Amino acid sequence: MIELVSDPGWELLEELNIETEFDIVKARQSVRQYAKDAGMGIVDQTRITTAVSELFRNMYMYAGGGVVRIQKGMYEGHPALVITCMDNGPGIDDITLAMQDGYTSGQGMGYGLPGAKRLVDDFVLQSEPGQGTSVRVAKWK
Amino acid sequence: MNSTTITNAKERIEHIEDILSSVAAGDLDLRIESEFEDDLTGVEQAINLLIDDLTHELKKSLKLKQEMEEKLMKIQEQQKTILQQQEDLMELSSPVSKVWENILILPVIGTLDSQRTQIMMENLLQKIVTTGCTTAILDITGVPTVDTQVANHLLKTVTAARLLGAECIVSGISPAIAQTIVHLGINLSNILTKATLQDAMIYALRKNEQLINGKVVLNQIDTDEPK
Ligand SMILES: Nc1ncnc2c1ncn2[C@@H]1O[C@H](COP(=O)(O)OP(=O)(O)OP(=O)(O)O)[C@@H](O)[C@H]1O
Ligand SMILES: [Mg+2]
Repeated sequence: MIELVSDPGWELLEELNIETEFDIVKARQSVRQYAKDAGMGIVDQTRITTAVSELFRNMYMYAGGGVVRIQKGMYEGHPALVITCMDNGPGIDDITLAMQDGYTSGQGMGYGLPGAKRLVDDFVLQSEPGQGTSVRVAKWK
Repeated sequence: MNSTTITNAKERIEHIEDILSSVAAGDLDLRIESEFEDDLTGVEQAINLLIDDLTHELKKSLKLKQEMEEKLMKIQEQQKTILQQQEDLMELSSPVSKVWENILILPVIGTLDSQRTQIMMENLLQKIVTTGCTTAILDITGVPTVDTQVANHLLKTVTAARLLGAECIVSGISPAIAQTIVHLGINLSNILTKATLQDAMIYALRKNEQLINGKVVLNQIDTDEPK
């Protein structure tokens, strides 16, 4: 698993495992609630929830699951919600390709990763073949 | 009396051996019978006490095991019930109903995982075939998150319905979800969408009127023909 280092100032809100589709639903509901608690409006709540939904689904589909860390804290000078998804899956060979609109290695639409990136304020992806994939997204008001 | 005298030593030791091997084989009802009062009697009694203790412990652990098994069974039953309820819920939450001549409505509520979407799609297509309806409204007001997978399923459902001769209208996309879909980059322009269920109904009824008018014309042609 590729560890994305946390800022020591961030507060850990919750850590969850994604193993089943039901876990995706639960994790998504958690994120929506934290977004609401952070004072985000309905549009921002929907954006961050949809973005993480894409990441959770990818972990579930391509890596057989993974870990989700929900944190809050200052991110590039903004009070933000930070969600990190880490898996132990096969990793992504060609990240540039995976980030392209419409590219899918399976039966998807190929909009999950690039779409998620457009829905958040910051998006970090690290992946190595054989070492898994880690994605961090941050959203502020 | 000589304290080292043991009456019938050989037989009694054999008896002890017999009892011990029976106990080892699981027969806990046996005890050593001592008819004599001498040095061996203490050993015989001690062995009997040991067997008593063993019996007690064994009974306790058997009872515990039984309790555990009962609990396990209960949990398994509960799990079954939960699974059953989940399935029931799945079916419940994709009710397709014919609300008007020619018009089906499928209100989608809750989260669309792949299993539910599959059931939903099958229900809808089946209903289109059995009722012959040519308009189906998929109302997604109750769906909190529309991600690429949900959008993909919606597209597939609409396409499959079209192959069966029915037009689908997707209603109930909130402004927040509409914006999110645009940012995701998904192209839903091939799907007919209406903001609310009401708008979708009005559209469907208008279409119906035109169809019925069209039918009237066709019927006239039909009745004219035999002349
Ligand atoms: N966690 C991951 N582990 C391994 N490969 C991944 C992971 N996430 C994405 N990928 C790869 O990147 C590709 C693009 O992902 P993306 O989410 O953009 O599209 P998709 O999942 O194929 O389809 P969609 O998300 O639109 O339903 C995937 O097809 C997959 O090959
Ligand atoms: Mg995806």
